[in-house]
Amino acid sequence: MAENLSADFVVIGSGICGALAAYKLARAGASVIMLEAGPRVTRAQLLANFRNSPRRSDWMSPYPFSPWAPHPVYKPKDNGYLVQAGPYPYPAEYIRVVGGTTWHWAAHTWRYLPNDMRMQSLYGVGVDWPCTYDELDPFYQEAEEIMGVAGSAEEHPESPRSKPFPLEPVAEPWAMRRLRERLQPEYPVVGNTVARNSRTFGGRPACCGSNNCQPICPVDAQYHGGLAVDAAEAAGVRLIPNAVVYRLEHDERDRIVAAHYFDPDKQSYRVTGKTFIVAANGIESPKLLLLSTSERFPNGIANSRDMVGRHLMDHPSTSLTFDADEEVWLGRGPQSPSSINTLRDGPFRAEFSAYRLDFTNISRVDSTTQRLLLDGVYGPEFEKRLRYSAAREMNVKTVLEVLPRPENRITLSDRKDALGIPQPQVHYAIDAYTRGGAQDAKKHFTRIAELMGGTNLRFTPDDAFANNQHICGTLSMGNDPNTSVCDRYGRAHDHENLFFIGTGVLPTAGTCNSTLAAVAVGFWTVAHILEEQAGVPSGKRAATGAGAGT
Amino acid sequence: MGWIQAVKRFVGGLMVLGLAWGGAGVVGAAPADPELIQRGEYLARVGDCVACHTAPGGPVFAGGLELPTPVGNIVATNITPSKTAGIGNYTLEQFDAAVRRGIRADGKPLYPAMPYPSYAKVTDEDIEAMYAYFMNAVEPVETRPPQTKLPFPFNIRYSMKLWNALFLDETPFQPDPSQGEEWNRGAYLVQGLTHCSTCHSPRNFLMAEDSSRDLAGGEVGPWHAPNITSDPVSGVGSWSLEEIVAYMKQGSIPKSQAAGPMAEAIDHSFQYMTDADLRAMAVYLKSVPPIAEDGVKKPVDSWGRAHADFASVRGKPWPENPDELNGPQLFDAYCAACHQASGQGTFDRQMPALYQNTATGRLQTNNLVMVILEGIHRVSQGYEVRMPGFAHELSDQQIATLSNYLMQAYGNPDGQTSAEQVANLRQGGPVSSSNLILLARAGMVVGLLVVLALVVWLVRRRRS
Amino acid sequence: MDSKDRSSTSLDHPLSRRQLLVGFLSAYTASLIPWAWAQEVPNEGQAAFMALSAIIAGRQTLNPELAKRIYEALDRSEQDFAARTQQLVALIEEQKIDPLQLQAILDKQYPQLAPIPRKLATAWFLGVVEVDGQAQAIAYEEALNAVFVADVLKPPSYCYGAYGSWAEPPIPNPNTQSEV
Repeated sequence: MAENLSADFVVIGSGICGALAAYKLARAGASVIMLEAGPRVTRAQLLANFRNSPRRSDWMSPYPFSPWAPHPVYKPKDNGYLVQAGPYPYPAEYIRVVGGTTWHWAAHTWRYLPNDMRMQSLYGVGVDWPCTYDELDPFYQEAEEIMGVAGSAEEHPESPRSKPFPLEPVAEPWAMRRLRERLQPEYPVVGNTVARNSRTFGGRPACCGSNNCQPICPVDAQYHGGLAVDAAEAAGVRLIPNAVVYRLEHDERDRIVAAHYFDPDKQSYRVTGKTFIVAANGIESPKLLLLSTSERFPNGIANSRDMVGRHLMDHPSTSLTFDADEEVWLGRGPQSPSSINTLRDGPFRAEFSAYRLDFTNISRVDSTTQRLLLDGVYGPEFEKRLRYSAAREMNVKTVLEVLPRPENRITLSDRKDALGIPQPQVHYAIDAYTRGGAQDAKKHFTRIAELMGGTNLRFTPDDAFANNQHICGTLSMGNDPNTSVCDRYGRAHDHENLFFIGTGVLPTAGTCNSTLAAVAVGFWTVAHILEEQAGVPSGKRAATGAGAGT
Repeated sequence: MGWIQAVKRFVGGLMVLGLAWGGAGVVGAAPADPELIQRGEYLARVGDCVACHTAPGGPVFAGGLELPTPVGNIVATNITPSKTAGIGNYTLEQFDAAVRRGIRADGKPLYPAMPYPSYAKVTDEDIEAMYAYFMNAVEPVETRPPQTKLPFPFNIRYSMKLWNALFLDETPFQPDPSQGEEWNRGAYLVQGLTHCSTCHSPRNFLMAEDSSRDLAGGEVGPWHAPNITSDPVSGVGSWSLEEIVAYMKQGSIPKSQAAGPMAEAIDHSFQYMTDADLRAMAVYLKSVPPIAEDGVKKPVDSWGRAHADFASVRGKPWPENPDELNGPQLFDAYCAACHQASGQGTFDRQMPALYQNTATGRLQTNNLVMVILEGIHRVSQGYEVRMPGFAHELSDQQIATLSNYLMQAYGNPDGQTSAEQVANLRQGGPVSSSNLILLARAGMVVGLLVVLALVVWLVRRRRS
Repeated sequence: MDSKDRSSTSLDHPLSRRQLLVGFLSAYTASLIPWAWAQEVPNEGQAAFMALSAIIAGRQTLNPELAKRIYEALDRSEQDFAARTQQLVALIEEQKIDPLQLQAILDKQYPQLAPIPRKLATAWFLGVVEVDGQAQAIAYEEALNAVFVADVLKPPSYCYGAYGSWAEPPIPNPNTQSEV
């Protein structure tokens, strides 16, 4: 094709991090091409897909699978895309579509704790970030104001802030209120900080309690990557969907000169640019780098020291399900509204993992139905037991920390996908540090159930950790090129004009969902790029424009 | 002298008269009585001055809003007490003339986009109060909005004098002694400041209100202002007083939700009125002579019931071409989340049911299409009403399919919507009435030709 | 009559030949379905299916339009569906099987009939059927698991109410029993 595919910035990946970065760059006057492996989707079709899904509890089921841009699928059958090399399974889920994975999330937008960023100095485990919490504060604020984050500063002293939340906290569901009332003063239950509208914001309505945050909010009351893409395109970003980048090309000065992509028919295109940003999630980004081998970089772009893909971290979860002694009826309001945040830090972190304790508000109806069907419960008893569980069943789960370990990593497998591109392979383990946290949490689980008059306690087995799809660490930022992939601004140590944005650059996992931090760090990266490049006024740091959102 | 010169003299004389009259007015000292000012503020809300005289996001009463009319855009003026850009130099008499007779301080007539034919009913005392409010309690804004420039011949404001002569009823409000105080208050408000007939009355081809069909319905661009006469089938005769009051106060009752220009009227005006005034208006409305409409078999809020067509949707794949989505599929993907699977609305009825709702009961489907296109966004008494618009998500065909399905399933199945209609409404509504410009110009050309022919004939006759 | 009225049950035959479920039941099965007098059966072949559905669902009359769709899907996906359903109903009658024991007994002793109640239950309770080896949604809002809790909950993806309405205690709402 003789098409001119060239821009100041080439952004690979149109998830929330890539799209918002592209948006910022376009607003600063740069030309931006954003390449997305997957297709466009619409909220309406995803909603229809959900209601028509034969596996409603499988939140991936509404999302289209594209053979040219495969992502892991586990139900009804594991498609084996993400090859598991063990020792512990890492069944990550992500969505390769325009807008990325945040089309379906619970909209948790947490700041890290300042101590999360100094694990090595404070607790002798993990690493220290190459930047401080205070440096990121204005970028967190900007991200919160674009996304519309609702929260109460008084409820979250653990993450200090210099300016208020843009939105008031989302109304607390009755079930969560009962938890809060019955667990105090022993456990303070607070509302989560979320990118969910507590009033009209960004031209989108307030939450109306559809209890369907995952897999899809029917009214866009929560922010997501699709909205970020809308903003980016409105700002002039040129999005090319169904463009599977398979190689980054560099010149003799190690500058990236082009990204090569396939369209679904395996036609190859070459996109050139001055600066490249890889924002294709914590698995696909290192995969792309590892694929892009050359004489100078036999182990892949940005990988002269074999750090790409290492230090994979996520947030494993264990949980307790129990029946409360009163009717609380989960399923009314947002899916994940409340948590306990007082166990996320402390000297114990030198020995075992800290954790957040999350209370779910997801409706019990489908899960109970499946259980009763498995048990062959028929007749009037079915309705009785369904209503009983729907009214009383509650669940508390841990959000545990995994330490950055070099042996937990993403590599290339020897299997190839439909376009002949090697599939990613994962090596993962849950070590004693994290298991120690899980053990510690059990006494809290028990106590919480007790305070709720809980019966029928069902703990997850000791060795069963659910995954939370917060894929961190694989492109860690750091000051030492021997142990990190990029510097404090996300610039690849090996390539002057290559930057990384996304959860992959976060060097520790903390105990909170990673999206907000990734977006904030992405803004910090963009601000640095713009300052550095000629012709852009310096000192143009984080802008706090609420109107900058959609 | 030639007749042309005679006309010029006549017009000149008129101008002199106008100037003299204007200049002879007394520049009254603006009274500073706070009660008067407060009353004036209330009356300004009742009259909804802000709706036209404030541009969206602009300073209050500073004008600049462009009102689209079939003959072109009319720009609302700055009515803040600015002496350079507004009405700061207006005497009480000049204010009165503008509001009740549609004559500016310089003697030129206003276009009846300014509803002076209705405001003509306002009492002297109320005018005084409003004058006091505008002169004392409104922030002066020193920017003058652009001038209105209508196409020929409507740029000749003096043509309005002819129009006024034909259509303007300048008689002030006369209370009806056979009716009670409440009715008279209601009549005064409805006929006067709230100027309901400006939207809700049909107009003749010269765009004057048809007083024989008062409040029997009118068009406001793409929106239809319905029949609010007391007819129990075609109007609001079957509404209770409480329903009418609640509708005006909150803009939302189970069977009807205000949208478009009416939603704005409630936001800016009605929600601030006293319950007593609203009730008086309701009493009056229920006495307005009933006008029945052809083809209206039962009240627009009495159609339909809960209904769901899951067989057409569950387990059925979407077609390749989105324009081929059927009504139930569109309803499922775009409407059902809020209006619920059977159109029954939420438990708390905050998202209303779609059946037994005026939105789906009307043969005239413009409003249904407009609501789908634009949604509803209102801030009422501190809480928000928000229905998103779907203009950028749904195509003309999809909206037509959806609208027809909604009417079939939940409303009056005789109401039809076409994709062309949707496309037209997206652009702002019916274009047919701009024939008026053509008509006026054609009329003038014909008139001129007739006059010329007459002159030629006269000259020939003289010669011969 | 409005052809979209979902309370109409005369889908396959004229009103004059309405058949009630009770006419097809014997003593024991009739005792499990006290409302059989009110439940209509489209045709004889579906009588056993309706009886089994009613036993499994264990509640008031079932939506006939949904019943038709479920029957058609199951008939397509199961060999000799009508016959096996009749066998199953006869078995229940003969052995006076309690619905709660049904699946366990079938799994152990009548494996060729065992899939039937499972499929029926999955269809009615969850709204999912298997057609040509593929699971397919046939109902969501009408699935009984949504209907059974409709006085308190909306099925996920439907707005609960105005913002903040979920903060109120979950008092069951009597207005919703008959609506989906």
